[in-house]
Order: sequence, then structure tokens, then C-alpha cells
Amino acid sequence: MSHHLGELLSAHVDGELSGVELDRVHAHLAACADCRTEASSLRSIKHELRSLAEVATDTGELTGRLLAMTGQASAVPVRSLQREYDDYERHLRRGLVRRSTRREAASRPPGRRRNRYVLWGTLSLVVVGVGTAFGMGGGGPATGPQIQPQLEVFDVQHAITSGDVPFPDPVEARVPVVAATPLCVTACC
Amino acid sequence: MRHGLLLTAVATVTIPGLLALLAVRAHEQVAAETGVAMAAAAALSGQSPAASATVRSAGRNNLAVSGGGPLTVLSSLTHSAQAQGMSMLDKAAAAGLATSYQGTELVSQAELDGGVSTVSQVWHQADGGTVVQSAGASTADAGSALETASPEGVFGVTKALVSMLGQYYVAVYQGDGSVVGRAAAVVELYRPDGSLAARFWLDKQTMVPLRREVFDTSERVVSQDAFTRVRFGALSGHQVAAGAGQAQSAWVTAAAPAKFLTSLAGAGWRLPGRLPDDLPLYRAASGSTASGEVVDLEYSDGLYDVSLFVERGTLAADLPGWQRVTVDSQQAYASGHAVTWATSGFVYTVIVDAPPEAVTAFVAAIPRDGSPGVLGRLGRGFERLGRMVDPFA
Repeated sequence: MSHHLGELLSAHVDGELSGVELDRVHAHLAACADCRTEASSLRSIKHELRSLAEVATDTGELTGRLLAMTGQASAVPVRSLQREYDDYERHLRRGLVRRSTRREAASRPPGRRRNRYVLWGTLSLVVVGVGTAFGMGGGGPATGPQIQPQLEVFDVQHAITSGDVPFPDPVEARVPVVAATPLCVTACC
Repeated sequence: MRHGLLLTAVATVTIPGLLALLAVRAHEQVAAETGVAMAAAAALSGQSPAASATVRSAGRNNLAVSGGGPLTVLSSLTHSAQAQGMSMLDKAAAAGLATSYQGTELVSQAELDGGVSTVSQVWHQADGGTVVQSAGASTADAGSALETASPEGVFGVTKALVSMLGQYYVAVYQGDGSVVGRAAAVVELYRPDGSLAARFWLDKQTMVPLRREVFDTSERVVSQDAFTRVRFGALSGHQVAAGAGQAQSAWVTAAAPAKFLTSLAGAGWRLPGRLPDDLPLYRAASGSTASGEVVDLEYSDGLYDVSLFVERGTLAADLPGWQRVTVDSQQAYASGHAVTWATSGFVYTVIVDAPPEAVTAFVAAIPRDGSPGVLGRLGRGFERLGRMVDPFA
């Protein structure tokens, strides 16, 4: 359709034509039903986009006011939104942006999204688990109650199992010697 | 969406489970390392003055059988003498249960803080119990508290230990001798390399042991026990009865030591799992003391007995009666024949009838705290997490 007027039609809808070009477009539109239909569609689209832009602008202004109340600067300048809208519209006219983009995103297979959620959830669990263990594993090995070995109890237990005389306690009951002197080393005594 | 939630739930259960499994594996590896160290400890009780670097390789070759090498000395002994020697020790173990006696026993042995001699009064009731009252030689009969000994008597000749002797030693009847005026049969134990390991004097009338000498691999005397006075026959009984009252300890012996260790490992206890080439674990028990729950592991080849007591926790700052020692940068505490130290959240106390250098090398061979590495730290973290969620840990 646009082969009739090409980019002139979009420029006309945007009010950018004047003089000879404007007359030529009007003459063509008067004779061409297809171009009239397309011009009407473009105006409708432009109207819709303008409405969206106004909502975004309002939201930006509201956000700005709210942020201003908290003492912060506006996070989303209105001019920035307007500029983004103009860029989008320009790309739309040039066919650089496909209208079906959002529709395709919405129609992406839900299984892939689920898998992505599961993957990220699992990774998060692993990171949290390993991080917790790593944190708990540090800080030195000294944990638990303070132990005072009950040597007298252990001595008795050792004596019972080994069949030996229990080691005496307290220590003063023992007589230190330089070495264990053999009583006799022959089998004849 | 439901599938996604389901998968997330499965992942929530599975991932921590796998991580916990990895932690358990790491823990088992640590336990195995501790077991290796314990094997070294067992080797040390063989009286070898081994340096720490040679502890592991020394193995139990210093103690007993190392694979059936030529028995240079034993080859000259008759099979009948060998069979008779083991038979006599069996009878001695049985006699310990069946014969009542009382006497005075002198024990001399080396300890960490030097050699000691101890004089003990012994009362042994047939099919009953044994109580001992020890005092220093210079203050004999000065009187210390009655202590309980094995119901099979003294001199380390019990049925359980004698049953293991045959696997590691050769017992040989060497002839007759005498002790405190009583006729005795002399039985010697030899290692496979032919070195003398021990010598027993058994009363010829009752077969009760009267005297014992234990030698290291260089045939130096390590310890000796002997009656300086003994009388066989019925006892007055009051001493044994008094001691029997003290014998009511809280120790519960495990029917299957290996399974007992497995269950403890699952609860986070770091215990030697097995000693494949050294002193075997032959007994395990659990009990309670004033410090809390204690696990007792006994390793023996029939002649040497190593008692390892393990408690969860750290050593108290003040340890009266213990002498602080440093072994290979490892802080430990010694008290005579015992050494205690803390590592990795557990307190180990070992009682070994061994020379000081053996006990010292044993401590040096035990894994200690240090930089655990990333995997070690993760394993310890998962272990602690497991203890937090396990009410039985």
C-alpha cells in the first residue's frame, strides 16, 4: 500500500508536509482509497501511542512528585519518556520494530519459563546451602562443652578391660624411679 | 505452574540431601584418617622408640605378626612346647575366675613423667570381683581408695586377651621357676621375628599368674608385675564387697563394636573406624562421667592394651593433675600413663601401657586442628548443620 506515497504518507500523518508535497499527497489521497485507509490506520496507531505516552508521562510525573516528597530526584524524567515514545514511533514507521514482539513474548512456551525458574531456584538453594555450611564450618573447631577428663574413671575401666592393676591416684601414691628395674630376668628364681 | 512447584520442591529436598551425603563422605574420610592415626598409636604400644615420622611405617611389626616371616628363634622350639605354652595361658585365664586369693603386688613401669613403682594390695574373689588398694612403695599400706580391677584378676591374663594372643604371638613353655616360694611354670611369648615379648610365671598348683614381664622389640624390660606376697583361699570378703559397689559404673558394652562405631559416626563422632594392620578393636563401650558422655574403645593384641576415651567438646582451661606438654606443635596434657588432647571438637584421652616415647609419638601421629581447607570446612559445616537438626546427635 505504502508504495503509493511511501514515507510521505507517514510524514503527512505527522503533519510534517507543506507546500507542493502536501498538495501532491492530498491529490493522491483523493484518488486512492488504499492510501486513505492506510492514513487512517496510521492516525489511529498514532492516537493510541499518544494515549499510552500520556499515561506513562502521568506515571512519571506522579513518581517524580512522590520521589520529590522523599527528597529524591525524579527517577524517570518526563522528557525521557517522550523521547522514547518518539523513537519507537519512528522505528515503527520504518518497519524496524515489529508489532508482534510483545505478542511473541507472551506466547513463549511456558515450559521454558518454568525450567528457568527451577534452575534459578535450585541454584539459589545450592548457593544458600553451601554458603551456610561454609560459614558454619569456620570460626575455629572449638565447640562443645568444656571437658575435664575423668582419669580415675578411665583408669578403672582400663584396668578392668586390660586385666591389670589400676593405676593409682593421686599421683603422690606413686614412687618415681629412674627406670623400671627388673626384679629378676631369669626363669630360675 | 504446578509442575514447576513440584520440581522446586523436589530440588529443595534432593539438593540438601546430596550435600549432606557429601558431608557424610567427608566425615568418613576424616574418621578413616583418625583410624590411621590410631593404628599408629597401637604400633606405639609396642615399645618402639619410634620417631613420629616412622610411626606409621613401623606399624605393628614392633609388636607382633607381620606376615609370617621366618621364625628364626621359634623354629628351634618344639610344637609341643608351643602348644603347651598356649594351653597353660588358657588355664591361667580360667584359674583367674575360679580361684580366690589375696596378696601384695609390686608394679614397675615407665611413664611419661618417669618410671614408677606401685605397691598394691589385691583381693580377688573367685567368680566375684577384684579390688585393689594402691600405695607408693615407701608408704606401703598407707591406704588409698579401693579400686575395682578385672573380675578375672590381675597380670592381664583374661580370657578375652588370651584368645587373641595366638594370632600375634607364639607361647612357649620354658620350664619351671618359682615366685615368692611357690613353684611356677614359666611361659614366654615370642614375636614372629623371634624376639621375646613377655614372660609369665604361673602358679603350678592353681595356674594363677604370679609374675609378668613385658619386653620391647629390643628385649628391654618395659614393665613387670609380681606378687611379693600371696595367699590362696577364701577371703574375708568385705574388701571385694566394698569394691563391687564401686564397680557399678555406667559403662554399657556394645555387642558389636564395629556397628557401634558406625552408628556413632552417623551421629558425628570422630572415632577410629578400623585398624586393619595394627591392634584390632576388640571392645567398645559407652558411659557417662561427670564430664558427660564418653566412648571407650579398646584395642589389643592380647598383650598390649590401648584404651581410647573420646568425649565431645573441648578441654577445660584448668586441668589439675595434668602436665602441659607440647608434642610436634600439638598441645596436650600428660598424667603418668595417660595423655589427653582436644582436636576437631573432641577430647581424646588415651591410656597405654607403653614407654613415654611411644605415647609421645602417638600424640604426634593424631590429626590435629589446622587449616581444614575448603572441603574440610564445608564438611565441618554440614556436620554442624546435621547436629542442629538431629535431636539424637
